[in-house]
This record gives sequence, C-alpha cells and structure tokens, in this order.
Amino acid sequence: MSEKILEVKDLVVEFNTDRGPITAVSGVSFEVFKGRTLGIVGESGSGKSVSALSIMRLIPSPPGRIKSGDIIFRGESLLDIPMDDMRRIRGNKIAMIFQEPMTSLNPVFTVGNQIIEVLELHQKDLSKPERVRKGIELLKLVGIPSPQARFKEYPHQLSGGMRQRVMIAMSLACEPDILIADEPTTALDVTIQAQILDLMNKLRDELGMGIIFITHDLGVVAEMCDDVAVMYCGRIVEKSDVRSIFAHPRHPYTKGLIHSIPSYDSTSIHKKEKLPTIDGMVPSLFELPAGCSFQDRCGEVKDDCRGAKGSPKLAEVSSGHEVSCFSPLD
Amino acid sequence: MSSEYLLEINNLTKKFPIKGGILGREIGAVKAVNNVSLKIKKGETLGLVGESGCGKTTLGRSILRLIEPTSGEIIFNGENIVNYNFAKMRDVRRKMQIIFQDPYASLNPRMTIGGILSEPMDIHKLCEGKDRRRKRLYELLDQVQLPKDALNKYPHEFSGGQRQRICIARALAVEPEFIVCDEPVSALDVSVQAQVVNLMMDLQKDLNLTYLFIAHDLKVVEYISNKVAVMYLGNIVEVASASELYGSSMHPYTKALFSAIPLPDPTKKQERIILQGDIPSPMNPPQGCHFHPRCWLASDACKGEYPENTSVPGSTTHQYRCFHPLH
Repeated sequence: MSEKILEVKDLVVEFNTDRGPITAVSGVSFEVFKGRTLGIVGESGSGKSVSALSIMRLIPSPPGRIKSGDIIFRGESLLDIPMDDMRRIRGNKIAMIFQEPMTSLNPVFTVGNQIIEVLELHQKDLSKPERVRKGIELLKLVGIPSPQARFKEYPHQLSGGMRQRVMIAMSLACEPDILIADEPTTALDVTIQAQILDLMNKLRDELGMGIIFITHDLGVVAEMCDDVAVMYCGRIVEKSDVRSIFAHPRHPYTKGLIHSIPSYDSTSIHKKEKLPTIDGMVPSLFELPAGCSFQDRCGEVKDDCRGAKGSPKLAEVSSGHEVSCFSPLD
Repeated sequence: MSSEYLLEINNLTKKFPIKGGILGREIGAVKAVNNVSLKIKKGETLGLVGESGCGKTTLGRSILRLIEPTSGEIIFNGENIVNYNFAKMRDVRRKMQIIFQDPYASLNPRMTIGGILSEPMDIHKLCEGKDRRRKRLYELLDQVQLPKDALNKYPHEFSGGQRQRICIARALAVEPEFIVCDEPVSALDVSVQAQVVNLMMDLQKDLNLTYLFIAHDLKVVEYISNKVAVMYLGNIVEVASASELYGSSMHPYTKALFSAIPLPDPTKKQERIILQGDIPSPMNPPQGCHFHPRCWLASDACKGEYPENTSVPGSTTHQYRCFHPLH
C-alpha cells in the first residue's frame, strides 16, 4: 500500500439548530493514500460534505462544531494547529473543488486573476510575470483551449465544463497532496462529465495526489475510485476497495443502492421488470431510531438492530472490507 | 378519427428572438426546436434525451402550448391543436398534463396538499360536491401511495420524493391521457428515484397513460421508455426503440452519450468516447450537421447540409440523421 497522507479518526460533528443539536457526522474514520482515490458515497444529508469540510476546517462555527475525533495530515493534527497555520495548508497542501463552478468563482475578477491569487497567497517567492506564466500553464494543463486568451476572461464567458476546469486549475496551483472534490461533476452534462473525470484521473497519476471524491453517483465511483466509503445518516456503513464493494456488497443499504440503478444490458430491457428499491426514505437526523439508522428500511432487520445492542460498529468481515451491520449479507 | 397514435408532432419549430441594439430590434433567432416530428402511441412512453440546452424542455412545453410554437402541427387525438383558442385549449389541457423537475419549486408553499390537488378539479369542474371530492382526493393519494392525513399538510412537511408524488397526483387529478414528464426524477436521491420510476410505470399500466419522458439520464430513460429520441441542438438526431438504440445506435452522438455514462461496475472498463469541446451555442449553431465540430467521423459533407432523416432498413421505428452512420 502506498503512503498514508491523511487520517480521519472518529470524527463527530454537531450542529446547533432551533430544535436542538444534531449530529451530522458521528464517528467517521477513513484514510487517504498517495495516488489513490477514496470515494465517499451517500444521499443528501448523509454527512459526506460535512466530513470533507471538517478536513478543511471550513465548518461554519457557530452553528457547527467538531465535537471530537482527530484529523491527522502527514503526522500532524489539523484540529490543534492555529488558524494561521491552517490557512497555509488550505489551498496549498489540501485543495478543494465544489459542485457549482459558477458560484465558487468570483464573477467580477478574471479567471487569471483568481488563479494568481492562489499563487500570491501560497508561493510568495514567485515574481508577477512568473505567476502569470504559471497561471497560463495551469490552464493548459487542465485542457483549456487557447489558455492565453481565456486567462483574461471572466467566469460568465466560460461554459460550465470550462469553469470546472478553471476550478481544478486553481486547486492544482500549489500541487496539493490531497484534492477534495465535492460532487465536481453533478452539475455537468454526461459528455462533459466524462471529460472532467478523465482529466482528474490523468492528473492524479501525473501528480500523485490523493483524491477524496464525494458523489452520490455509484457509476462515477466505479469509474474513478480505488477505495469506497458508503455513508448513511452520518455514519460509514461500509468501507472497502472498489471491486469487492461492487462485486460483493455486505451492507443491505449498499446492496440496495447498487441494485436500484437501472442497467441496460440487453436482457433487462426486454423483461421490463420492476426496479428493486429501498423502501421508505432517509430518516430525519432529528428522529434517528435507536440502534441502526437503517433499520426501518432494511429487509434483513433483526431484533438486535432495534437498539438493544446500540449502533452497529464498523468491523472487518473480510480482508480490507469493513461493514457496520449486525447481520451483514453473505 | 381513430389512429394508433395519441400524439403526432409534425415539423414543430420554436424560435426565440434575440434582441439587440439600442432600439431592441430583432437581430436573430435561436432555433430551440427545429423541425421536429415525433409520434407517440397510446399507452406508450417516448423518452427524450439530450444535454442541457438542446431544447428538450422547450419541446415538451411547446406540445402543451405553454410555450407557443412558431410553426408546425401538434395533432392530439386526431386534431391539430396549434390554432385552438384559450377556451378550447383548456379542454385539451385536461387531457394533457405536465410534471416538472423540481418538486420544491412546483408546489405552492401556502396551500395544503388538499388545496393543491383540488385546484385542477376546480378549474375543470370535476368531482364537484364535498363527498365526491373528498373521495376522489383519497383515491388520488392512494394512487401515489401517500397516507390520507397528507391532505391537511403543507408541502414543506414532505421529502423530495413525497413531493414528487404530490405533483404526480396533481397531474392525475383531471384524469389525463397524456403526461409530459420533464426530468421528474433527476432532483431526487438515488434510493428514491427508483421508487418514483416504479410508481410511474405502475400508474401507466393501471390508467393507460401515455408519457413523454424527458431526462438527461439515459439509464432511466432507457428503462422506462418504449421508444427513445435523442436531441442535439434543437434537432432529433436519432429515434429508435429502447433496445435498438442501445444495441445498435447509428448516430455517433448517441454512441458517445452512451459511452459517457459511468457504469456501476468497476470490472467493466468500457471503451469510452470522449467528445472534445462543449455544446456549441444554439444562437450560432455550426453549419451543416450541428454535431460535426465534435464528431470524430466528420467529413466535408457534414459541413455543408444537415443530413436528412434516414430509416434503418428492416426496422419500423429506427431513424437517424447522419452521413456516416455507425452500422
């Protein structure tokens, strides 16, 4: 296994709301390795974005706070260091791209200006012309045609796919060790998504970054990721390498998710059978049942799941494959 | 007049004027929908796929005349409805309904579910009288699998999937024959998507509904549709039955669309066609075949004229518009 660059240990994040505190992330642990992509999958509200923002220490506080746990980046706890030091890491060593490229770029500055800003903050020894040259190089790296001209344009002059490329260029400006991508292709069309995924894979191999890829699309996970963590209601319910999780999901939720995607091998089209579904809906974080959060939607539910034994803990079922379920699937 | 087709669209075009200059004169037009012809059989589903900006939503709304088409014919139940006046159109709209993408934006937050579901029946004077109305409302909720106590609640009390069920119930309230479904599941979570898709397929069977199902997710469209039309920059580039389209697509764009979809199976690394560049602006589409700047098969012929509609020999449904078909 390659070098471990980031470790998240038992992270708990709480938010204060009008109806009392809720736990958005409860006891999440994962690792990121050099040159590998970790996929975090889950539905809305499962805590995947909050986990990512915690790594960057960007949880708005108040109302949010990291209650316990630790985030260790290259042997150093990110939760203990002062904000000034954190700023030196953020955008420099750990970079992040967001879902909406339109709202994450500043509309009143040129694209070039915004890339240079990153270099001004983190690479102070570069002279101005050097920064401009590097900025144009970055645009070229992410495959933007005529980078020289694009450098002077404003975000509104670019298409959605181009904007996302600019975001990636900005995040790569300082050659980060870790890139956190929070649903980077959800707002894009499939043909453009294919371009961006291809680009991210290429850059990961060239630059040897570790990527945390947050998505709800299992197709994208299968395509992009080496390791997968499936989140449900603030917990990781299953964690494994990508092949064994798709070939052999052990948690009923993971299995349900994988099977509810319509596939189009020729056999299924003619049968027109019903799509397998997961009954019910994601429970509100205010009304989580005692015990396993998935119990009310689970086809395999047993008495143990109803709270007598507490919440299931993540435990290894086969080498490298962890699942938090009292009766994991065979 | 009886025909096996419930809806026929002939050469439908919608142009949006572009205004410019100080005087706001018309300086051009965006052809959002360009000479589109489609037929939908009663009780079937036609899927319409394409990327953002290709005109699929405009087409869907033009059929209901929520957007006035510029030219062309819309033949519904054997009658051309394009020139119908407001009153006559209202009667037609009882038979045609629409479900929108965003279930959060398409329900009035100040109305109870009962009010929302009653409104279409008030307009069309259906199920009048308190008892009959109440019975009908319960029936509607039952059809979309929502509990009876939903009637007195407000939209914010429901999740996305439940709200989409309410939208479906509202469309069903007037007992339509035809429903335009404009991306009905794309705003929903994965586990809920499958539930709504199943519900829509059950309703179709029970009530003999005809759907135009608009989506950008080919997997869902493929699953729910009998026939699929692929749209690119205002033109239908290929129409085929769902299985033909996937198994033997003729148009390079269709093939690229399919290959761009990430499959949920890490062991299958499919050959991926990555299209270069973005979708051109519909204000100024490329000469000839609109797809040629991104097409790997493009030749000089493609830069001249838009290819004509060609039928695939031996197939009753499969048609495409391309000079260099793949098979």
